[in-house]
Amino acid sequence: MSVDDETSGWQLTESDPGVFSELLKSLGVPLIVDDLYSLDADSLAALQPLRALIFLFKWIPTSSDSTSQRAGTDDPEFAGFFAHQVVNNACATLAVLNALGNIPSLESGPKLSELLRFSADMDPQTRGLVITGSDWLREMHNALSPPSAFSLDGLGLPKKAEEAYHFVVYLPVMGALYELDGLKPHALRHEAFDDSGEGWLKTARQVIEARINTYPVGALEFSLLALREDPLPSLRSQLDRAQAPGQSPAANELLAKISNENAKRERWAFENSLRRHNHVGLVQGLLLALAKGGKLGVAEESAKKAMKERIEQRRARGADMDEDE
Amino acid sequence: MSLVGAQILLAFKAGRAFRREGSNTVIPNPTKGAIYLTNGADDLLHFIWRNRDTGELEEDLILFQFDASFVKVSQSGSGRVYVLKFASSNQRHFFWMQDASSTRDTEFVENLNGLLQDPDFHCHWSTLSSTGGAGPSSRAGASSSTAAGPASTSGFQATPQQLATLQQILMSGGRGAVAQAQAPDLSLTDILTPGNLLPLFTQHPELVPSLFPHLPPDLPVPPSADALQRIIHSPQFRSAVSNFDQALRTGMLGGLVRTLGLPEEAGTGIGPFLRAIQEQADREQDNNTMDTD
Repeated sequence: MSVDDETSGWQLTESDPGVFSELLKSLGVPLIVDDLYSLDADSLAALQPLRALIFLFKWIPTSSDSTSQRAGTDDPEFAGFFAHQVVNNACATLAVLNALGNIPSLESGPKLSELLRFSADMDPQTRGLVITGSDWLREMHNALSPPSAFSLDGLGLPKKAEEAYHFVVYLPVMGALYELDGLKPHALRHEAFDDSGEGWLKTARQVIEARINTYPVGALEFSLLALREDPLPSLRSQLDRAQAPGQSPAANELLAKISNENAKRERWAFENSLRRHNHVGLVQGLLLALAKGGKLGVAEESAKKAMKERIEQRRARGADMDEDE
Repeated sequence: MSLVGAQILLAFKAGRAFRREGSNTVIPNPTKGAIYLTNGADDLLHFIWRNRDTGELEEDLILFQFDASFVKVSQSGSGRVYVLKFASSNQRHFFWMQDASSTRDTEFVENLNGLLQDPDFHCHWSTLSSTGGAGPSSRAGASSSTAAGPASTSGFQATPQQLATLQQILMSGGRGAVAQAQAPDLSLTDILTPGNLLPLFTQHPELVPSLFPHLPPDLPVPPSADALQRIIHSPQFRSAVSNFDQALRTGMLGGLVRTLGLPEEAGTGIGPFLRAIQEQADREQDNNTMDTD
């Protein structure tokens, strides 16, 4: 496989909780990532203890967000962990590290601890270079992207749209909400938060909602992910306590939660095995099965028809656009 | 100090790194640079570090055969920090490799050390293609031309990688147009649909087990028709089909399809690929008929 300049060997990965959670597992960190469908207090409370929110959105270079009024102030003196994104495709892993590097007394595997320690005194640019230069980290990251049976590089194919996604981490550092965006020169400091009630999450909700509202409706494609403590160990120990006599309703509820969590892990494992797999053999096998079943010819004809319709539709849309102009 | 009149023996992108005062930590400096090894007009061997932003030659060391060596700093986290050291002194100069890909680091270092030992050493290059490195002088040319990056107006200096990101985003539309120009008359994504496959599995359950060897080996459930259904519906499988379809459309998969046991001709497009599959199916079914006879 050829390695081009922009990616330095970092492959594109999906921005999916299953992918992030697998990466965290490889890093030896007892955290997982879940989808966050809403910022309301109940949704957030259900995911506690929450360590960081990851906001990812389609990066639109033309709608420069420096022109609009943005909350927060640059903090060049930020004493926490902040690394610049210096390589394409590494953005997801970099965002995770920008979060992990700021979690006090984080439990982690030896390689990650060493990397965090080694880069502790570096400036954000150098730190970014060191992170993206770590072969072991790149291998962990690439482990969840499909193997290339064929090199698509240099064939002039359109690149996947996912690489236009941009990652921003929000998390509490030393009493204030911080926004860490590897494409920005500095960490961005938002308000100090009140430790009572929802704490930093209240500030984070306000900041993220305000940010979403600065984009015209429909112009922003985004999703939110929650970096949280793995709930399984705590659920299991709660279950042990609840299985004492007379506690069965509580135990049943815990069992339901545990089985939900396990079902989710099974789904992640299933999808991750598909992500790592080279499907070319299966493609051939399925086509062969269609041919043996005497259905390949028919399928081919209907595929040609579908393509023709699609091209006509595209033409019709193109014609409409011409009239508009 | 000048490169004029000098014969460039070797050049590659590298930045400088400095030891933090009072410690053993070496900090890479982000400034873009390049290392040149030249036979100077004075006929001496020069080790030059050139700032790729300003074009200044900021370091020019005269080296004597066997005295200097360029070795990896094993403690460095990135693995791309090197030190130029001397047998005759305690002098140390630190550098870090700046070629976007680390795959050629070893090659540059081996050639550099070869030249430090023997000025008549002939550099060995495993690949002369992708990064545009035809020879030492043209590599140097390429480095300096890419170094002329525009300064950003925001006061935040974009890295070459960030510029490349932007460029890629801006260009992706254009590249898409190229691939679409070869108007295809059908796509594999319209053939391998659940609508075509699920009835096949019900009508010909005997074909299902032959697909199991093609499923991921680390699937958390045993292979079954159910698992197969899940896979066919999955975005990962659909995107794999679409990638393969795109690659096949380039007509350049002759080498790959041979590994699938198909004639090279099958890699020249979707039509030829499907024809080869049909032939493979006919052949295998003929064999089966003969076996049962």
